Amino acid sequence: MAKLSLMFENKLVKEVPVGSRPVAIGRSPDNDLPVDNLAVSNYHARVYFEANRLVVEDLDSLNGTFVNDLRVERATLHDGDSIWIGKHHIKVDASGDAVPAWDPGKKAAAPKINETMVLDTKARRDMLQQAAAMGERTQFAAGRLKVPTLVVLSGNTDQKEYVITNKLTVIGKSKMATVRLKGWLKPQLAAQINQRDDGYYVGPGDKVPRVNGASIPGPLRLNDGDTIEVCGVRLNFIFRD
Amino acid sequence: MQIASGGVTSVGRVRANNEDCFKIVESMNLFVLSDGMGGEAHGEIASALAVETVVKHCMETEQDPAMTVFGDMPAAWSEKTKRLSSAVHLANKSIYDSAHKHAEQHGMGATLTAAWIDGTRVSIAHVGDSRAYLLRSGSLQQLTSDHSLVAEQVRRGILTPAEAERSEMQSVLLRALGAHEDIEVDAEEHTVFPRDILLLCSDGLTRMVTEPEIAGTLQAEPDPAKAAGRLVELANDQGGADNVTVVVVRAGAESKGWFSWLRRGAKNSSQGNGSAGGK
Repeated sequence: MAKLSLMFENKLVKEVPVGSRPVAIGRSPDNDLPVDNLAVSNYHARVYFEANRLVVEDLDSLNGTFVNDLRVERATLHDGDSIWIGKHHIKVDASGDAVPAWDPGKKAAAPKINETMVLDTKARRDMLQQAAAMGERTQFAAGRLKVPTLVVLSGNTDQKEYVITNKLTVIGKSKMATVRLKGWLKPQLAAQINQRDDGYYVGPGDKVPRVNGASIPGPLRLNDGDTIEVCGVRLNFIFRD
Repeated sequence: MQIASGGVTSVGRVRANNEDCFKIVESMNLFVLSDGMGGEAHGEIASALAVETVVKHCMETEQDPAMTVFGDMPAAWSEKTKRLSSAVHLANKSIYDSAHKHAEQHGMGATLTAAWIDGTRVSIAHVGDSRAYLLRSGSLQQLTSDHSLVAEQVRRGILTPAEAERSEMQSVLLRALGAHEDIEVDAEEHTVFPRDILLLCSDGLTRMVTEPEIAGTLQAEPDPAKAAGRLVELANDQGGADNVTVVVVRAGAESKGWFSWLRRGAKNSSQGNGSAGGK
């Protein structure tokens, strides 16, 4: 059975299973998962099964519900996802559930396709509407978008803070690097931060960076608040409002 | 920056026609790849027309920088990016016009992914589900977003990437050249670092070969043409369900500064002193 674990600063606060009834989340004590924090609305969000999928729905909360750093109105949850509400986060454990894959071929009633085809405007609209009818409205609330930022905690760099605006960010001594390291014997390309569909990943360059004190085995997805260390420079990765 | 490149295309193991097309213009560091679609031989016509139009327009703008820019362009884009994007708009129009003039070509279309390197900047323009990747220090990063239905569903959280791979709808594109009179072209610019490897490929590669396999092959084979050939072989060995086209572009190691000059000097002198005979 799917399970939600409410965490605060990496400590488990409460754990609830998700059954046939929605799990209510909010500041009011009559919620299934009460979250005692002023940043949380009285009835903030709920999690439930719909068409065999675990769904989180924001209940018009003031400060929003985030799934893996993206603000959502409603989104499908996968095993290992994190729902962020204020300073708390809820770990999603859906590992025990064999969630049947939605077969878009059936739902969309489209012919079986071997050859590549392009949807005309109408077919495209219909298909996307069908997708919307599945109950998905992941919204990136404009104006409240969070800006990924690197704050220099220590070490010698050309700026104290960098807003990440590009898909590819390089940390190094190179003149072309976004985060320019100063000093002798620093590599031109020490490490890199790349934007992918599901977030920002830090990866090695000529050096292997450490994230929160541990060496990374390969590209690693960054979470809000992570500390990156490379070539004697410590950077704090945060999402700014 | 020193640029070395190579490209290979193959019909694959299942299809009768190769509807993919690519062109490398070494003198301009321009790389263009297209995957055509349409009945009979029309996919081939569409992809060839797409590649030819893009290359021709880029060459012409080199001669005449005052040429008109097509489509809406952010002012911040470099000249090269604007031109490359214009060229893709033109390619769309060529295919669309041709399909409307010739009834039998109705429904033909093509993807297009192009890269143009100018010094330390690379401009990328893209429509469809062919891809551009960057391999930098061992990390393979997809630069382009697929304009396919399943990719859009993954972005919206409707499908997981694993479900998308199994989907029967993988071939449904939301954007392709030739489908409409107007088209939205994705374009972007990046800095090229020494030892970066740029990969352009059709979906015949990415549906057959995993990203770790792609990264491993690119790292193991320094020669761009051989690396492209190996990737095509891998795709064919693993089924070759579609046409496969791969273009590999490698930025050379930059040697500058007094330290590398010293090392270069050391290498030269050891060659000169060698008894095995130098130049």
